[in-house]
Amino acid sequence: MTCRELMEVAESLTPSQLLRAVAEGQPLSAHVRECAACGRWLESQRSLGEALHTLQTVTAQREAGPAVEAAVLEAFRTRGFAPRVVAMPEATPPAMWRLSRFFEIGAYAAVAAALVVGLFLGARILQEKKTESATSQAQATSGSKTNQSALPVVNSGPAITPQVEEKTAPAAIARGSSPRSKPSTQTPANAATSDSDQAGYVAMMLCDPLICSGDEQVVRMELPAAVSADGASAQPVLADVVIGEDGLIRAMRIVNE
Amino acid sequence: MLAEQTDEQLLELALNGNEEAFTDLYRRRQGPVYRFALHMSGSPQVAEEVTQEVFLFLLQRGHDFDPERGVLGAYLFGVARNYVRRAMEKSYSEAVKTTPAEDDDPNLVTDFDPVRDIARRQTSKAVWKAVLSLPEHYREVVVLCDLQEQTYADAAQALGCALGTVRSRLHRAHEMLMKKLQHTAPALAGFSGNAARCLS
Repeated sequence: MTCRELMEVAESLTPSQLLRAVAEGQPLSAHVRECAACGRWLESQRSLGEALHTLQTVTAQREAGPAVEAAVLEAFRTRGFAPRVVAMPEATPPAMWRLSRFFEIGAYAAVAAALVVGLFLGARILQEKKTESATSQAQATSGSKTNQSALPVVNSGPAITPQVEEKTAPAAIARGSSPRSKPSTQTPANAATSDSDQAGYVAMMLCDPLICSGDEQVVRMELPAAVSADGASAQPVLADVVIGEDGLIRAMRIVNE
Repeated sequence: MLAEQTDEQLLELALNGNEEAFTDLYRRRQGPVYRFALHMSGSPQVAEEVTQEVFLFLLQRGHDFDPERGVLGAYLFGVARNYVRRAMEKSYSEAVKTTPAEDDDPNLVTDFDPVRDIARRQTSKAVWKAVLSLPEHYREVVVLCDLQEQTYADAAQALGCALGTVRSRLHRAHEMLMKKLQHTAPALAGFSGNAARCLS
């Protein structure tokens, strides 16, 4: 027998059983005689067994007092054994639980509604931001185009003097129907003719509703004679000029033609 | 006649309302339950409370005991173990003692030889102190297997673990106990030497 085998045997036995096995079993006792370390270990096991046995015998007579016995027997006499509890398949929830359940569902519904509203508002704000950025971008591009085409006309006269009278843009123009309506489908010439038929205004630029947003103002201006059609007329020409928020001229009409 | 009945048979009679059977069952099993709680907690007060709670629990849930799953003694130890644990959690500083209760019990077994009696008391006190200082799951197996002389199978039922677990825990607990006793009580016979294991 090896030391490891002795340990395996020892693990399966209590100290007292081990000591009995060593006393009775030849292989165990033979190994203990040969191996000093196992002999010492076995001696310590024997001491531990004896010490535990001492504790066991010292406390062997200890037991619960008569008061405990009286209490237990009294409980048996008065109550007896509780009847066997049969498991109920599904108990109905108490009213309080149902009420709290109602509030719980209500809370879930409120949270869900808040989420939906939040998503809707978020999407809308996002859309508005996109529109604004697209507008500013388009204004920047259209502004550069207008500067190329319209500015020479406006700046050609040396004295463009705005009148004191200032009007708001006509409803048709403010809504974008006159100079700005359907700009993408109309050529500038067509747009000019159709618009001038309606209100006398001539569109000065193509206005996409996305680009030409914001308020417009109608400013009556006195144009120098050089700008008038006949060119030779000495009388100044009065014109209503529709100016956008960006300062560019949207449309114009001659008043004292 | 009742003395010849097993614990399970006594319980069966008690469940049918036989007070004498219940009393006999109580007197037969209260001592081991009390000593288990006493060895585990070191407190006679806790041991009395646990004993009472265990039998009140039996009155409440006696119908749930299934003899096919083990013996009644192990079942009661299992219940007692839970109550001891609960008592320790409830008042940890009071319930868990690093030193055992003083032996003021007049029923203690004493020796006619006063010197030997003192030596026995010192030994038991040192060992009990070492047992109380063990971690709970090691203390349980020592109390059940060494002090209550339960078989490994019954201890496994009481502790709700595998038999091999009981075996390995007990072996480890013995090693820990020997180390503790080497430090705390080297004068005791057998604990002064080196008990190193040889694994050749």
